Amino acid sequence: MSAILTVDGLSKGFGGVRAVDECSLAVEQGTITGLIGPNGSGKTTVFNIITGYLRADAGTVRLGGRDVTGQDTGRLYRHGLSRTFQQARVFPQLTVLENLVVAGGYSWWRLFRGRVTRSDQAAAQRLLAEFRLDALAGVPAAELSYGQRKLLEFAAVLMSEPRLVLLDEPTAGVNQVLVETMERHIRARNAAGITFLIVEHDMTFVMRLCDPIVVLDAGRPIFSGTPAQVQNNPLVLDAYLGS
Amino acid sequence: MRAGPVRGLLFFGALVVTPLFGLQHWVLNLLVFVLMFAVMSSSWNLVGGMAGYPSLGHAAFFGIGAYALGLIFRGHTVHSGYEPFFWLPVIGLLGAVVGWPIAVVSMRTRADVFAIVTITFLFVVQTLAFNLHGLTGGAQGLAMPIAPFPAATFEEPFYYVLVVLLALALGLTYGALRSKVGLALSAVRADEDKARGIGVPTTGVKVLAFSVSVGLTAMVGGVWGYYESFIYPQFAVDPLITIAIVLMTFLGGRATLWGPVLGAFLLEAGQQVLAYQLGGNQFYLIAYAMIFLLVMLFLPRGIVPTIAQRRGKRSRSAGAGATPAPPASGLDLRAATGSRGTP
Repeated sequence: MSAILTVDGLSKGFGGVRAVDECSLAVEQGTITGLIGPNGSGKTTVFNIITGYLRADAGTVRLGGRDVTGQDTGRLYRHGLSRTFQQARVFPQLTVLENLVVAGGYSWWRLFRGRVTRSDQAAAQRLLAEFRLDALAGVPAAELSYGQRKLLEFAAVLMSEPRLVLLDEPTAGVNQVLVETMERHIRARNAAGITFLIVEHDMTFVMRLCDPIVVLDAGRPIFSGTPAQVQNNPLVLDAYLGS
Repeated sequence: MRAGPVRGLLFFGALVVTPLFGLQHWVLNLLVFVLMFAVMSSSWNLVGGMAGYPSLGHAAFFGIGAYALGLIFRGHTVHSGYEPFFWLPVIGLLGAVVGWPIAVVSMRTRADVFAIVTITFLFVVQTLAFNLHGLTGGAQGLAMPIAPFPAATFEEPFYYVLVVLLALALGLTYGALRSKVGLALSAVRADEDKARGIGVPTTGVKVLAFSVSVGLTAMVGGVWGYYESFIYPQFAVDPLITIAIVLMTFLGGRATLWGPVLGAFLLEAGQQVLAYQLGGNQFYLIAYAMIFLLVMLFLPRGIVPTIAQRRGKRSRSAGAGATPAPPASGLDLRAATGSRGTP
């Protein structure tokens, strides 16, 4: 196995707070890697740096062997790296179908084609059927429930056929049935070749789904291993419970 | 045929035949101004409505267009009277070219900061117009080419040129709404950072929208200058023009096809009437402000979206909610306009 994403010596400070402190981690091709840690341990900041939303003070990010540190988030997306947000960010005034089409990629000549072309429609309908959102295709996303928005946001980032997907708390605030639905989709897509890096607080979900798991504390990884190793590691318990 | 194109044909058909009824000069003059504002608010809508960037600098481009026309024809007499109109595409291009770098710089900011940056640009241009005496004549004003049209039908050429410009502005808006440009602009308006992260060329589409928008505005400025035959900096680069087109777009409905046109017809006609009623003082501005407050209070989304929403609700409750949502198609403008009905 080779690493699809390598983060090396990443640091980021906000004023006096070092949110990320010489953080190094690697995500192996084909895995569902979990990134956990107590609140404020820098998980989302790491996500934001990897995806180009934040500029790191130091360190490098490599995607599939290429140095992509500080690259524009849109460009990273075109190179196969996409992400979802903690708060399920969808476009409320666009329809469910358009929320997928808008993520389907652009070029100058495509920009002047139809808003939703036949091929867009076909590609989006396939995904909507997979996520059981097809009955809602024409409904504005504003009318969806929170859980449905989470599913929609996930479905939308798959429109570009990414290689690596970063999910920021995919199950936060959704009911148990949807948690299982989400898990099923992640597994199915992983089997189809997509690598995942997941930040999540729901420990049973992480322990079921992720391997390996990286534990972050105070902006740097303190441990990395299988779910069983993580559960029994004293350093991890310390970080969560305080020593 | 669908309702949209039919409505468009009816509207423009009515505009084309209106002058044939032998209207009085003051009515035609009023219509010329209504059309100017209809074109400008439709163009402003591309940026302020569809992209969600509330530019307050558009009057600067109106002035740039007017002065450009004056400078092109300085020292020349016009013969047929139509020559200045043939130069309008050049003026539109000039406005777009000047607008491009302005957009690249100012659109790094958002919302209220963007509004302030653009209105600053407006005052910079106004100050230049007052002070570049060699170019603009300063406060003494600049003589425009004299239009040699017969007095009986003097307004008509201007009227029809503005009808063409309005068709152009609405055509571009319609095209944008139905293409990926409109989809990308909706995404920018809703959540620009998210849009950037899913590969939407945010900078490209918003700068494009701004350039096209100010290019159209500059063309209207050119027509206005020619119509006025003499222009002064305080009227050519006038913050009140900016305010008016923003008001009209808000009143009619942002990011809709017909909203800005409707707003322009209501407000500009209303303003002229109020100005006559209340005399030469500026009391009409107070009435204007009151209208704006009432709009914000009762129609915060504008007339067109509100009506469309009410109609949509009624038809949906009539359908008893049992019908599944219709599949969205490339022809569906509802989401494009952020409303629940046809724009």
